[in-house]
Amino acid sequence: MEYKPGLPEHNDNISHTQPVREFFLLCAAILVFLTVFYWALGLLVDVAVEHIPPKMEAAIFSPFANLDEKPQESPQQTALQKMVDNLSLCASIQYPLTVKLVESEQINAFAVPGGGIFVYSGLLDKLKSDNGLAFVLAHELAHFSNRDHLRGLGRGIVLTALMAAITGGGSDITQLFAPATGVGQAQFSQKRESLADQQALLTLNCYYGHAGGATEFFDSIKPLTERSGKSFQHYFASHPEAEKRIENLNQMIKQLGFTIEEVEGLSEVFSEQNAN
Amino acid sequence: MEQLIILAVFLSLGYFFGKMAEKKHYQSIFEREKKWLSIPVTASKQVMGDSRPIANGQLLVGNMVVSVDYFKRMLAGLRGIFGGSVQSYETLLDRARREAVLRMIESCPNADCIINLRLETSSIYKGQGNQIGSVEVLAYGTAIFFQK
Repeated sequence: MEYKPGLPEHNDNISHTQPVREFFLLCAAILVFLTVFYWALGLLVDVAVEHIPPKMEAAIFSPFANLDEKPQESPQQTALQKMVDNLSLCASIQYPLTVKLVESEQINAFAVPGGGIFVYSGLLDKLKSDNGLAFVLAHELAHFSNRDHLRGLGRGIVLTALMAAITGGGSDITQLFAPATGVGQAQFSQKRESLADQQALLTLNCYYGHAGGATEFFDSIKPLTERSGKSFQHYFASHPEAEKRIENLNQMIKQLGFTIEEVEGLSEVFSEQNAN
Repeated sequence: MEQLIILAVFLSLGYFFGKMAEKKHYQSIFEREKKWLSIPVTASKQVMGDSRPIANGQLLVGNMVVSVDYFKRMLAGLRGIFGGSVQSYETLLDRARREAVLRMIESCPNADCIINLRLETSSIYKGQGNQIGSVEVLAYGTAIFFQK
């Protein structure tokens, strides 16, 4: 046998394809999968939350949020609890809810699974009237009657499980799709928030007989949200923009023919909190 | 969102620098393969087409460690979900094989021929999926010197 030197004319060991095209194609395919599964499993979550009675919910979740622990007795705490109890009648919530006042600069209030509402003291500083406070509490009550706290949790779990199953949790590919899933979660959350706003308006009107103070809280945080910039960030936000929420509320007040009357000032117990 | 921007920066850095490095490396491979065409290299155990008596033989070794770039690794990861040929790793291994053989030849420029060429591949970050994947390709063979 003779040896003949020569170079290969064509490299058959490598594929001469476009890797960028392949990359986007595969990404698109995964996005389609994620969307379809997330949508389908989200529907399952919606069905499931309707079938979890409040008692079972409390049994499962209250240990996590320390709701069994009696909150520290204070005049503000008692007044908040009384307000929630009264609003519950208007929001037609049949089971007891525990409200907890937390000393914090943060301007926030939220509903947790198990029947708990946490109110940060920073929120009270931003309010000028009891009506405004009642609207914020009514909004959290609406989350309970809509079972949003369970929906959010359920979807969060579904999404995490789904991502872990498809991409292997914590890998770089999980990171690649995190923003997309974030948008999905945010859009769902914004929808639920708008719905809760609507129901809170009805509760407020039922409680006071007029809709005064409904937009008070959003009016006071509007300058804060405007400063943080707009651009495309709102696609990722869990709540709609303050401006939009005010607009929607005003529109609904007009549609339902609610009146807006002079609001009473913030009760002394809460304004004392402000002074502190 | 910031996460995605950081990721996009990493991906494009990986893509462009990876592409540049690959192009440069192939250029060098083509040139050197042409240059060393004068030394016959075969995988056969015997010298081919030459009956001259052999003076001596010598073991030759050449190796290369090459790493995949961020973009290709991501692409391979996506492939791992759907299956199919992992084309993004093909050039990586092709380059490593050819470079290893070239280094082996260059280690003995005076050989009359090289026989019994063998290649071995091993992955460096074995079992650690999240690490950058690198492979080592080892080429070895026997250099033959004929009697003058």
